Amino acid sequence: MKTEPMISIVGLYKRFGHHEVLKNVNIDIKPSEVLVVVGPSGSGKSTILRCINGLEHATGGHIYIEGTDITDPRTDINEVRQKVGIVFQSFNLFPHLTALKNVTLAPIQVKNIKQEVANEKALQSLAKVGLKDKADAFPAHLSGGQQQRVAIARALAMDPDVMLFDEVTSALDPELVSEVLDTMKALAREGMTMIVVTHEMGFAKEVGDRLIFMDEGEIVEDGKPVDVFTNPQHPRTREFFSKILSHL
Amino acid sequence: MGICAFTVLPVVGAVLAIVFGSVARVKIKRYDLEGSGLARAGITMGILGLAIPLIALFLYLRRDGLREFISEFFNWEILKGAMPYLLQGLLYTIKVAAIAEVCILVLGLIIALMRISRSKVISTIAAVYIDVVRGLPLLLQILLVSFGLYYLLGLKQSGITTGIIALTVCYAAYEAEIFRAGIASIHKGQMEAARSLGMGYLKAMRFVILPQAVRRVIPPLSNEFVALLKDTALLSVIAVPELLQRAREIMGNKFNETPLVGAALLYLCVTIPLMFLVRYVEKRLAKGD
Repeated sequence: MKTEPMISIVGLYKRFGHHEVLKNVNIDIKPSEVLVVVGPSGSGKSTILRCINGLEHATGGHIYIEGTDITDPRTDINEVRQKVGIVFQSFNLFPHLTALKNVTLAPIQVKNIKQEVANEKALQSLAKVGLKDKADAFPAHLSGGQQQRVAIARALAMDPDVMLFDEVTSALDPELVSEVLDTMKALAREGMTMIVVTHEMGFAKEVGDRLIFMDEGEIVEDGKPVDVFTNPQHPRTREFFSKILSHL
Repeated sequence: MGICAFTVLPVVGAVLAIVFGSVARVKIKRYDLEGSGLARAGITMGILGLAIPLIALFLYLRRDGLREFISEFFNWEILKGAMPYLLQGLLYTIKVAAIAEVCILVLGLIIALMRISRSKVISTIAAVYIDVVRGLPLLLQILLVSFGLYYLLGLKQSGITTGIIALTVCYAAYEAEIFRAGIASIHKGQMEAARSLGMGYLKAMRFVILPQAVRRVIPPLSNEFVALLKDTALLSVIAVPELLQRAREIMGNKFNETPLVGAALLYLCVTIPLMFLVRYVEKRLAKGD
C-alpha cells in the first residue's frame, strides 16, 4: 500500500539576493519517517527546515504539508505551524518565563486551551524529556542540554505531526549532547515524523530511516544511512565523509 | 588702603608658597627624595591662600550687591508665606507629569510598533512624526499645541489638558525611539520561536518580545520621567499653574526672588529621590539579567 507523503517538497528554490541557497530540491517524507539531512555548512540544510516552517519564503517551487501548499499566499501559515514543531540550534527559550510557562504559552494563546489542562499536558511533555522537576525553573538556571529538552517539550506541547530539528546539539557542550539525542531517539521510537539536520553521524546511522546529503543547495545523495555511509555514490559525498571520518 | 594690605600681602605669600612648593616637588621627584607629601601640602596651602583673600576681596567690593542678593534670594518670611501655595504647585506638577507619563507610554509604544511595521506607509508616518517632533524645541511645541488646540477644539489655553497633550506629543516621540531600541535588542530567534509555535505577530509581540523589551527599557524610561517632571516647568509659558508658574506669580507680587529658590528646593525634593530610585532599579535589573 502506498502511503501519502506527510511532507512533499517539489522543485524548491531559495535565493538570498544573488546567492542561490537551494536549487531544485525535491523530497517526499512519509509519516513516521526519520529523515536525516547532512552536509557541509552553507549547503542549505537549515534553509530547507526554515522554508518548511514558513520562517523563510520559498523563491520557487511548492511545499505541501499534509496536502496543504504552504507557498500559497492564501494558506494560513499560523495554522500550518501548529502541525510542524521546530527546535533551534540556539534553544530560543523565552527567558522571562519558567520552563512550564514556556511550554504552556502557545497552547493557551493559540489553541485556547484552559490553563489547568495546559499545565497538566505541559508537565507530561516535561516528564517525557525528563525535566518534570524543573517546571518552575527559569531558562537561565538550566544547563544547555536541559534548555534544549525544554525547547523540545515546548514544540511537542502543540501536538505537531512533524518535528524539525535544526542542528540542535551544535551549541551544546559535548557531555550534554547525549541527553538531547536520547530524547530525540525516544521520540523517533514513538513514531514521530522527524527531519533532523545534524552533524551527529552516529545518531544518523542509529535512528535515521533515510539520509540526504546536500552540497551547494542540491541533494547529492539520498538513501538508507548505512548505504550512504558505507558506499557513497558521489565523489562529493565521499570527500565529505572522508573528512569527517578522519576526525574520529 | 587697609583692604589692599590685607589682600596683597597674603597673595604675595601664597604665590611664593606655590612657586617654592612646585620647585621643591620637581627637585624631590628628580632626585627621588623624601618629603614630596610636604611639598604638595605647601602648594595646596598656597592655592588656598591665593583663593581666599581674592574671594574675600571680591565679596567686599560687591558688598552692596551681596546684601541685596541675600535679601532677594533667602527671605525667610516670604518663603514661609509662599510655601503652601508652592506645595500646591508641586502637587499640580506631579499630577501633570504622572498623567502625561501614562499617555506618553501608550502613545510611545504605539508609535514604536508603527515604526517597525512592515507596511512602508505606516512606518514612514511614524518616522516623520518622530523626526519632526525631535527636531523642534519643546517650548515651541507647547506654544503651537496650546494655540492650535484653542482654535481647533476650543480648549482653555492654560488648561491641564493642553499641558498634558503638549508634553505627550513631544515625549512620545523620544520614548518611541527607546521602545524601538528595546524591541530591536531582543534576539530575532525569540520572534521566530514564538511564530514557529503558531503565534501571530501581535501575540508574539505581546507575550514574548514586549515583556523582555520593556524590562530592558525601564532605566532609560525612568530617566525620561525625571526629565518630563522638570520639563513641566515649561508649561509656565502658557500659564499652567504648575510649580514654576506659581513661584513666578508670587515673585511678581512680592518683588522678591525667594519663591524661585523655594521652587528649586521643591523640585530637588522630588527629582533627587527619583534619581536614586532609578539607579537602584537599574542595579536590580542588571543583576537579574
